[in-house]
Amino acid sequence: MKIIDRNITAWQTGILLFILLFANKVLVLPSLLYEGAKFEAFLIPIIASFLEFGLLFLFYKVKMRFPDKSFEEILSARFGKVVQILIYIFFSVYFLAKAVLLYNVTFIFFRNMIYKNAQNFVFLFALLPIINHLAICGLRVLGRTAQLFLPVIFLITVFCIVVGCFGIDSNPLLFQTNATMFFSTFFKNFAPFGDSILLFMIIDRVKVERGQWKPIFILSALALLCVCVITFVFILSYSHTCFMHPFAIFEIMSFVKEYEGLGRLDLISMVVIILYTYFQLAIYLKVFMFSFCGVFKKLDVLYSVLTFNILFLIIINFFITNLDGAVFFGQNLLPYFNAFPFVVLPTFVLLLFVRRRKREVKT
Amino acid sequence: MDVSKQIEEIKQKLHNSIDITSRIIQKKDVIVGFVYLKSMTDNLIFSQALFEPISNFEMPLSFESLAEIVKANDVSECQKDEFTKKVLGGSVLIFISNSKRVLAVDILSFNTRSPQEPPTSPVILGPREGFTEDYKTNMTLLRRRFHSEDLVFESLFIGKSTQTQVVVSYLDGIVDKKIVKEVKQKLKSIDIDGIVDSYYLVDLLSNRPNSFLKQIGQSEKPDIIAAKMLEGRVAIIVDNSPIVLTVPFVFLEDLQNSNDYYTNYTYSTLLRFIRLVAILMAVLGQGIYIALQLFHYNILPMKYLITIADSTQQVPFTPLIEILFISLLFQILYEVSLRLPSYLGLATSVVGALILGDTGVKAGLLSPPTVIVVAIAKIAIYTVPEQSSQITLLQYIFILVGASLGLLGLIGACIYFLAYANTIENFDAPYLAPFSPFIFSDNKDGLLKVPLSSMENRPKSFKTAKRKRINEDN
Repeated sequence: MKIIDRNITAWQTGILLFILLFANKVLVLPSLLYEGAKFEAFLIPIIASFLEFGLLFLFYKVKMRFPDKSFEEILSARFGKVVQILIYIFFSVYFLAKAVLLYNVTFIFFRNMIYKNAQNFVFLFALLPIINHLAICGLRVLGRTAQLFLPVIFLITVFCIVVGCFGIDSNPLLFQTNATMFFSTFFKNFAPFGDSILLFMIIDRVKVERGQWKPIFILSALALLCVCVITFVFILSYSHTCFMHPFAIFEIMSFVKEYEGLGRLDLISMVVIILYTYFQLAIYLKVFMFSFCGVFKKLDVLYSVLTFNILFLIIINFFITNLDGAVFFGQNLLPYFNAFPFVVLPTFVLLLFVRRRKREVKT
Repeated sequence: MDVSKQIEEIKQKLHNSIDITSRIIQKKDVIVGFVYLKSMTDNLIFSQALFEPISNFEMPLSFESLAEIVKANDVSECQKDEFTKKVLGGSVLIFISNSKRVLAVDILSFNTRSPQEPPTSPVILGPREGFTEDYKTNMTLLRRRFHSEDLVFESLFIGKSTQTQVVVSYLDGIVDKKIVKEVKQKLKSIDIDGIVDSYYLVDLLSNRPNSFLKQIGQSEKPDIIAAKMLEGRVAIIVDNSPIVLTVPFVFLEDLQNSNDYYTNYTYSTLLRFIRLVAILMAVLGQGIYIALQLFHYNILPMKYLITIADSTQQVPFTPLIEILFISLLFQILYEVSLRLPSYLGLATSVVGALILGDTGVKAGLLSPPTVIVVAIAKIAIYTVPEQSSQITLLQYIFILVGASLGLLGLIGACIYFLAYANTIENFDAPYLAPFSPFIFSDNKDGLLKVPLSSMENRPKSFKTAKRKRINEDN
């Protein structure tokens, strides 16, 4: 099966990043952060945003240095094929784990809020065909379709924030937690961050015309800003009862549930949650496809899709079926996975530059 | 030359068809023979333009003198291998015994419809003429709009049996030559027994013929085709069809209407938004209604919920069966009203609206909200009639998705179909341009409509040879 992954523009890359950086951080994360870090919780997304921007900066540097090369070519040329394959295996596992976490969180949300007691297969039936289609259609189609939905996602997010502000009924009481608790919470809930490393997988397909990097940085900044603001609004709205309201973006709308004749406004936030779930899972699958093909170069692309689906179904059905399981998975296993985007990968990228600089000095 | 033998040969080639006619006259020692199809030639024109001038000619007849005395504009010498083709095309072949050369005179004549306002695209303001079945008339309608040497008509014949004349038309210097080349290549590669209407070419020109989405522009109005050609598109005129095709095609074209260009631009913008909302209502309305009824009833405000619950509790069918039943009923009525004579149309409306709808509701078989939702969705289709078949198909899919997976499924289906539309690129034009990919300059005539003076450039959605439209020299 031949899948043509044509280039995407800087805007489309920015949009994919926006969805990825914003999406899985506005549902259960704010509530979990408050549990450990109290009012200071809103600082965690801000600090994580800086780290995320660090990854973006690394990508920028690599892209400027190797404008037309794929990450696979760069790694094989500098560190050999074994290292390249190892890193690509990490990529595959990392994004599969992220997809599982996202699915679980949203599945629990849907089952609690929309489809009472519905079975897992109903959601899989609704999600898997669409994300497979999006990923198989290619990166450009994925980017263009996300581009169509961006105004909807962005406007609804802004609307949620504005409406959420009406529900604020407390003032921030700072210094309710200590540094140990703060950093422990930070580490435990670090799993949703680090998504920007997807850019390394599509580095050769991102077409930045005349050095116009603005869209990528602006949209990433906007996504992270939205995350920070939603966390802030949610914490101020619910403060000590945050633990009773696990789905932040949905809950800040529920606070103003009946809005005259309009009905329940939380439906609007539900739409945005559904939209980003589809796109984020599709992006994860797409990156998994790239990384899988980087490991098994001779295999057909279809095998990568098949492998993702099989592994995804196995993990979903056998391991995680409730919120506690998902939270355990997200807080106790996945944070260690984040050593890959924030420690391992940057180290290799820095080595890339050090080695190159040494070689340049020699020549 | 043995004139009788030549005429006989042609007759035999045409299987002695009853409409093949021949006449032989002798002028002194010269024999002149005529062969033509009486079904394609007017007898009066034949006798006035050819027969009388030749029979009354006093001087000795020769091939050269024949060509001068016939009263027709299209006179040419015909080679032997073209004899039957010329006769079938409506020409009269004139043989003369003292020359081996043969004259073909085109006096093709048959009854055609005069240009009228097309029933599919009436306008309040603006030109009312429409294309006809005669390609020459259609070429004239276009030529009248372009007093320019840049307007090009190129002809080719398609169909082994029909040998239908297909004319490729474009504005030289504006259109991208690669598009013209691709169109001609595609047309030349068509190997088919016949082309009865331009729609035959729609499938054959599409990159994805199996797709349910419309990929080729169609219009019955010369002003629309002229406007599209000015934007850099190629028009394809097919003989015997009042529909002219245009390529490249993007979805936005159907959202636009000729009325938009003959009214105030702010009003046009409003109308385009209304059309978009209507499309969304048509595609999603029934699906959302059924999803709300089955899965998400708790998100409705209490007042509406009570109203809907009141009106649906007596209905014996499930919401899915009910909505499918009304949709099918509407579709049947629509099909019937299209085929029935106009004087029976009123009766169909009465049967449909009053007896089936009203009685169905009163009998408790149908609920009023469902009837309203289906009616709105069905009527909304016709704000964009060019997309009616696609929207109707999508309606049924979205009803089934809404009934089985609720809002999650509906949003998923939206993403699926939009991604699918994004995979389509005919003649390198992205199907959903200028929305996806977003092209800022093309959005001046997208969902928004700015004044014509602000639309300085041609669309970027597809390639054109000249980008500027206004102030070209600046």
